[in-house]
Amino acid sequence: MTLVYAITIAAYVGCGLYMMLSRHVVRMILGLTLLTNGAIFLIFFSGRIGSSMPPVIPQGSDALSADAANALPQALVLTAIVIGFALTAFAIALALKAYRSLGTLDVREMKAAEALGAPDAPSSSQTVTNHG
Amino acid sequence: MDLSTILLVALAGSVVAPFVVARAGVLGGPLAAVLPAALFAWFFAQIGAVGTAPIVEVVPWVPSLGIDLTFRLDGFSLLFALLITGIGTLVTLYAASYMAEKPAFVRAQFLFYILLFMTAMLATVTADNLVALFVFWEMTSLLSFLLVGFQSEDAKARKAALQSLLVTASGGLALLAGIILIGVEAGTFSIAALVANPAPVLDSPLFPLIVACVLIGAFTKSAQFPFHFWLPNAMKAPTPASAYLHSATMVKLGVYLLARLDPVFAGAPWVGATLVFFGGLTMLIAAVQALRAIELKAVLAYSTVASLGTLVMLIGLDGPVSSVAVVGLILAHALYKATLFFCAGIVIHATHETRLRALGGLAKLLPFTAAATVLASFSMAGLPPFIGFISKEYLFEAKLESSLDTVAVTIGVLVNAVMVAIAGVLALRPFFGRPKKAFHVEHGEQPGMTVGPLLLAVVGVTFGLVPSLVAYALIEPAAIAIHGAPFDVSFKLWHGFTPMLALSGLVVALGAVLAWFWDPIHLAMRRRRAFDEVFLDRGYDLVLGRTLALARWSTNVLQNGDLRVYAAVVSATVTGLLAYGLLAGEGPVLPAIAGEPVRPYLLVVCALIVAGCLVAAAVPSLVSAIVAVGLSGYGLALVFLLNGGPDLALTQFSVETLFVVIVMAVLLKLPIVARSSRTTGERWMDGALAAAFAACILVATLWIAAKPFNPELTEYFAATAVPEGFGRNVVNVILVDFRALDTFGEIAVVAFAALGAWALLRSGGGSRRASKGA
Repeated sequence: MTLVYAITIAAYVGCGLYMMLSRHVVRMILGLTLLTNGAIFLIFFSGRIGSSMPPVIPQGSDALSADAANALPQALVLTAIVIGFALTAFAIALALKAYRSLGTLDVREMKAAEALGAPDAPSSSQTVTNHG
Repeated sequence: MDLSTILLVALAGSVVAPFVVARAGVLGGPLAAVLPAALFAWFFAQIGAVGTAPIVEVVPWVPSLGIDLTFRLDGFSLLFALLITGIGTLVTLYAASYMAEKPAFVRAQFLFYILLFMTAMLATVTADNLVALFVFWEMTSLLSFLLVGFQSEDAKARKAALQSLLVTASGGLALLAGIILIGVEAGTFSIAALVANPAPVLDSPLFPLIVACVLIGAFTKSAQFPFHFWLPNAMKAPTPASAYLHSATMVKLGVYLLARLDPVFAGAPWVGATLVFFGGLTMLIAAVQALRAIELKAVLAYSTVASLGTLVMLIGLDGPVSSVAVVGLILAHALYKATLFFCAGIVIHATHETRLRALGGLAKLLPFTAAATVLASFSMAGLPPFIGFISKEYLFEAKLESSLDTVAVTIGVLVNAVMVAIAGVLALRPFFGRPKKAFHVEHGEQPGMTVGPLLLAVVGVTFGLVPSLVAYALIEPAAIAIHGAPFDVSFKLWHGFTPMLALSGLVVALGAVLAWFWDPIHLAMRRRRAFDEVFLDRGYDLVLGRTLALARWSTNVLQNGDLRVYAAVVSATVTGLLAYGLLAGEGPVLPAIAGEPVRPYLLVVCALIVAGCLVAAAVPSLVSAIVAVGLSGYGLALVFLLNGGPDLALTQFSVETLFVVIVMAVLLKLPIVARSSRTTGERWMDGALAAAFAACILVATLWIAAKPFNPELTEYFAATAVPEGFGRNVVNVILVDFRALDTFGEIAVVAFAALGAWALLRSGGGSRRASKGA
């Protein structure tokens, strides 16, 4: 199964990167989600997958049985899932705001900042105001 | 007072002097000259002590790196220190008069640079630690930049300043590399220690690289081929700076360093041959260009380049006489060339005419300048009884004694004949020749300017007539210092009828012929435009132009404002580093997977995930892509569920559901049809990049699986969850107890993300129409 898991992780990050290289903001966010899932799976995998017994100590015992699943990567993954979701949610809000302000989801047309920094940039009249 | 105090005094004095100059009016120049004069007196007083043993002083600087401010004053350093402070005194006096009609601020600024330069030079020639030497060396380059570009309103001066800085500073970088290599190989940065024990450097496999780096540093500083072009261009500096930096002192630093390291490099004969080759080539090019030069200062600049070439060649020659010749020529050249620059400055200042051929008949108006020029020219031409004659005798003796006599002597005779001709033309034409047409003369002799060249010219004659004045006090200690071992030094005017005398005679005769036919030769040479292609700074322009073009190209390609390109560059770099990390060393280790049990249900789930990923990446429709991403997310939740992580599965299910709902909701506000944002070619490129990245991750993941698992932490949490954390769900205990602070941070991140999203979406946002109207 090691090979199967490894291929699955590779598929996550490969497809995630491919979508992140797109110029469409929504596709980039979807790619980010895939990449996050790949990273989460990798953390989970590196703690060794095998046991299907949850790491819960039964009543009457003081220690976890030796064949329970590894608890540490689970704790890390739990954090990662939540953080990844927060990041995605913020990115979606940003995309929505960008669309409302700039009228586009294509990053080629989101050039206001580049024009600001260029030495031969036109004056600030070209910069985009985002208050209605 | 010790040496480091003297250098501090020089530094403090150079900072204070400009304020004095700015307020003292006419007296400012002489007041400022007190500083170099006092320093000269101090160094002069050290002659006796240095004659017996070098003065050494150690000031710890960065002891952990073996870098100390070690100052070492031996005969060779002392000769330079005396030249620097002596000529510095005269330059200060001269500059105050030269710039008399400039505003006080400009005069003060100029003297500030000059005195600061003097301090840096003194520190360079007394530094024994190569790293310290390099720091001061670069300071002189920087001050040269400021002085060449002093008339900053002149675009040509700015260009020449930048050129001199780029050439000498890039050579300085090469020198730094060489110095570091020397330090690595020899374990010391001390020149004295290197000379005492050159074996570690000589036997190092890096020796050729060290030599190449040091030579590039020295050649750029001392304007040797192929870097000779910057020095004539640097004549845009005010004349006092030209006399000081670009003739008497700074440009000799390269020669200084080569002479210092000669006892180390002499162990390999090919280094000497290389020096003779480049020195000889520089001499020939400079001689040709000197014949072609139009402006007075350009003629002097090319003759300086020729002298520097001669010095480099002499250092390359073997035999102790060459050290005497080097020292003699450094002294003689500093005396006569500074004089000639001073006189040229007076002529230019008085007439505002810079072209040699336009000048004539100035002897009546500038009698003292004419006298000084004649005396210095005779010394330059190597006529008896001037010091130039003595130094030329040793020059030829060194060449005849060396193993490369034929080449060295031939080049020496040709180039020195040109020097004789130049000396003749410089002395006769502006002062005694008939001017082509009348020109305006602003002023006659001015004491502040005239005293310097006259003094130097007289000193040149005196040293020639009574060489014993300098032979034992200066020449002998200096020659022994660079030869590395004591030997019997003789430095006298009359040697009897020797081959050297015959060669001197031949040179003077040839030079006289050249001087007689100067006009036709000069005009014929000028018409040969081919020389401009080869000898001027076309190569520099080419390199500079290409560098700027490369910068423009890389900006256009890498920073063109297309986010996709940025992302591609970043991910390609990460992929490349990842691949290197995987392949470097012994390469990846793969786990033994043959005997593993296959869990069919998980196999199906993993296939589902892979399918979801591929569909998401491939479909054009955004809705389908979102569904596919959600599918792969649910698959991950199933993986958790089946591998002992019910909490994870629960979280993943809810997060994935929320994700699909939110994105779908947002998508209602966005255009549902996304036109393709990538061309087919770009898709293929991105696909290849993503595939390479995925392959690297695949190999890395397998490698992780192949490594033995360290269960220490897992066992710790498993054993302590109940006794210390009082919880039975170990994952929860880790989250809220052992790693509580992390969890708190995570909550904060979620809260900030929610706040941020709320702030972004709260106002309803500026609508598209509103933003266009703004």
